[in-house]
Amino acid sequence: MYPEPTNIWERIEYSSLGTTIAESTWMFPTIETIHVFALVTVIGTIALVDLRLIGVKGHALRVSQLARDTLPWTWGAFVLAAITGTLLWVSKASSYMINPYFLAKMALLALAGLNMMYFHMTTWRTVDHWELDPSFPAAAKVAGWLSLIFWVGVIFTGRAIGFTLGIFY
Amino acid sequence: MDELLYNFTDWLRSTPLNDLALTISETQATAWIGEHFWAIPIFQVIHILAIAGSFAAVLMMNLRVFGFAGHATLSETAHRYSRVLWWSLAALIFSGFLMIIGEPVRELVNPYFWIKMILVVVGILVAVLFARNLARQAEVAGGGVRSAALLLVVLWLLIMWCGRWIAYAPV
Repeated sequence: MYPEPTNIWERIEYSSLGTTIAESTWMFPTIETIHVFALVTVIGTIALVDLRLIGVKGHALRVSQLARDTLPWTWGAFVLAAITGTLLWVSKASSYMINPYFLAKMALLALAGLNMMYFHMTTWRTVDHWELDPSFPAAAKVAGWLSLIFWVGVIFTGRAIGFTLGIFY
Repeated sequence: MDELLYNFTDWLRSTPLNDLALTISETQATAWIGEHFWAIPIFQVIHILAIAGSFAAVLMMNLRVFGFAGHATLSETAHRYSRVLWWSLAALIFSGFLMIIGEPVRELVNPYFWIKMILVVVGILVAVLFARNLARQAEVAGGGVRSAALLLVVLWLLIMWCGRWIAYAPV
């Protein structure tokens, strides 16, 4: 059956949860599909706000109103993406942990989170003062661009995992 | 279910689609994509970003129709997000074509691919009618528009499902 685990990642992978997902023909693709539903919701809703921040107008809605409409869905979908992502990871934990694209994806997720936190604790606090201005403050545009870059990076590295898993030992 | 899909694949192999896929696979474009390891993943990234844009647009119109998101009239909402939807759809179709040229047999001789194509045609028709009707609604959306909104979300989820499962088709 399964060899004796030699590290914590193998211990997780050979757990009953990990082997159940790995051995099933339909579980991994199904969880992966739900992961896709969740991640497109996260990135689609975030991109709507980011594009607004960098100056793509196209509508009269205030950016604070847009954020209020999208954020609950962004967070809900993020939780679903995190749960499904964890389940996928458990089933092949030791392969993921030596895959550079997986590690880069986790780093980019952290950067996207830090960028968002910093923006919310600084420039966003005064959004009422600048959201009706013809042009947003540079800090808001930078936050929008960084967010777009980090999230596109998350998608790219996420997709790259599927093409490289198992080639790094 | 697997049996049914397998028979579908078998049937696809007996149609001219098989020859078409093989003809495409002999072109220089397919060869070029095959020689560049990152081409397919990059097309897929563009495809996923376009799905994100289109699904977010569908979601935001739905939220407004059902009163979960406020701040704009139905007609403004329709106008704003249908533009996001059309641009995303253009990127979806473009990146989808690139993926077909890159891996013609994997796509064209695949049951999920063709189920997805049928759903995409229905989805685009429903989206066009929905966006057009939403723009003409009064402050509260009527029953037809509400049903179309829900149908659109379900269609988009099914399209994503089939898209992901192209990789897992029984062959």
